[in-house]
Amino acid sequence: MGKVIDLDIHKCSACGACAVACMDQNDLDVTAGVSPFRVVCDLEEKNGGFEYYSIACFHCEDAPCITACPCNCLSKDEETGFTIYDNTNCIGCHSCAMACPFGAPSYAADGKMIKCDGCVERVKCGLEPACVRNCPTGALTLLDEEEFKEVKVTRSLKKIMDMANE
Amino acid sequence: MKKKTAVVGFGCAGYHAVKAMREHGYDGEIDVYTDSDWAPGNPMLTTYYIYGKIRKEGTMPFGAMEEIQKQFGFCVRREAVSRVLSEEKAVQTSDGRKEIYDQILISTGARAFVPPIPGADSENVFVMRTMDDAEQVKAALSTGKIKSAVVVGASMVGIKLVELFHANGIECTLADMAPYIFPVSAVPQIAADIEARLKEKGIRLVFSKALQAIENENGKLKVVFADGEAVPCDLVMMCIGTRANTQIADEKLAVNRGIVVDTSMRTNMPGIYSAGDCCEGNNIQTGQTQIIGIWDNAARQGETAGANMAGIKTVYPGNMLHNITHFMGMDFIGYGDVRSEGKEYTYENPEFGQKFVVREKDGVPVCMNFLDSYGASGVFKAYMIKRLEGSREPLSPVARVRMIREGVPEKVMDLLND
Repeated sequence: MGKVIDLDIHKCSACGACAVACMDQNDLDVTAGVSPFRVVCDLEEKNGGFEYYSIACFHCEDAPCITACPCNCLSKDEETGFTIYDNTNCIGCHSCAMACPFGAPSYAADGKMIKCDGCVERVKCGLEPACVRNCPTGALTLLDEEEFKEVKVTRSLKKIMDMANE
Repeated sequence: MKKKTAVVGFGCAGYHAVKAMREHGYDGEIDVYTDSDWAPGNPMLTTYYIYGKIRKEGTMPFGAMEEIQKQFGFCVRREAVSRVLSEEKAVQTSDGRKEIYDQILISTGARAFVPPIPGADSENVFVMRTMDDAEQVKAALSTGKIKSAVVVGASMVGIKLVELFHANGIECTLADMAPYIFPVSAVPQIAADIEARLKEKGIRLVFSKALQAIENENGKLKVVFADGEAVPCDLVMMCIGTRANTQIADEKLAVNRGIVVDTSMRTNMPGIYSAGDCCEGNNIQTGQTQIIGIWDNAARQGETAGANMAGIKTVYPGNMLHNITHFMGMDFIGYGDVRSEGKEYTYENPEFGQKFVVREKDGVPVCMNFLDSYGASGVFKAYMIKRLEGSREPLSPVARVRMIREGVPEKVMDLLND
């Protein structure tokens, strides 16, 4: 069954623990200019309030990066549905960056593409991805696809109720 | 009786069509016609191969022909096709034989264009499209005798060759009839920035000059322009452009610059499909058909053709012109039709060395050029396509987070949100 790394923005404070855990897990040398796979940010709303986000690869079902890569470096992991990669033949052309609507691909110091693979090896061993494991507020969770669908329905209903109560 | 399908030409589109047919349950025969010894691969990989960034295996992203054949089950016909007879649904080979099919996909791709000028066939004058071209240039460089080169055509492949020669210590001149670099996708001010960077790296630029001849005096070449200027060199690359391989289409098939297809990849003749660089699919910006020669576009078109040929009704809405070219430590990113009219805005992020030019009309970006902002390039592309399709939704929070992270100025986001 496919897996989803879900973010509940109402629980996120953009503390950055997920990003640090991701850097550690993936040995990302951000001081050498490597972009972290997970980005945290707060966005100011028009009413002066703030929303907090932690964003990485969305592991799209029909991932456009896979088709766009001229070297066939990207693929789907059958067990988890995560978008994984083997960058042996990566030429660093940035076509995957142009294809991704979320800006997920990153590049190592050698110019080759690297990205969030959902900590696929951890997940296959029954562990959570590093970002989920280290999220102190429970905003990031690892869900099965079916669980994720239920969560989405519950969130939509809550949103409608909130709007009705306003 | 099982269906019989011919796939004429086996590059990216042909590969994806065959893959999609099998994935959608097509169990009939497939004959793949190809006159190339190479498995499907992106022409762009040729320069990386010469550079040494990938090995020969790396130029075949889907594996060797035998592996692909084993995976999807088809017959390889290594025969040159002279004609696709669209009414009969027949493939005619150059030896005059004719084979009838239930459906035919024409996915013959494109070829490098060489203008008919004197000396174009001289020794050490090359084009760069196929692996055979790559091997020839590689062999020429390995002699150690190439000290200077002229790249004619300030195109995407042209600049990759400039990069290659520069890295090999070869004195390099980039020439074009157009007044500036990347004339089909760059706005003048972004082109000017790129040119300044190239000059700084020692690349000589010769623009607004028409190529007249290549002279060869005892192996020493001279590129002669219409105004009389001549540039001596040891090697010439002709990167003037490509032409769609439409010559096998018979007169009943609608052909402009490419074979005209609808959003199902059907030509005007029943049972004849076309996909990839040889065809004109829908340009979502103009609503007209146009060749959009991009790997991803060819793959999507091939997938769509394959699904429809397997009996699964599938539509590919089309694409807009766009490209990202990474060379000599910089990225040029272009979206939309550079000839589009609109109000132009320019922004810079000096800290990241980025420049953003956005041309928009009635709240819709019609042409955008960025220098060195590849991290958010896909976010911009997805947003522009949505706007061209009629959406007036502002940038999503996810898009804004990514743009902030990549150094996109707030003013650019505000402009797009208007």
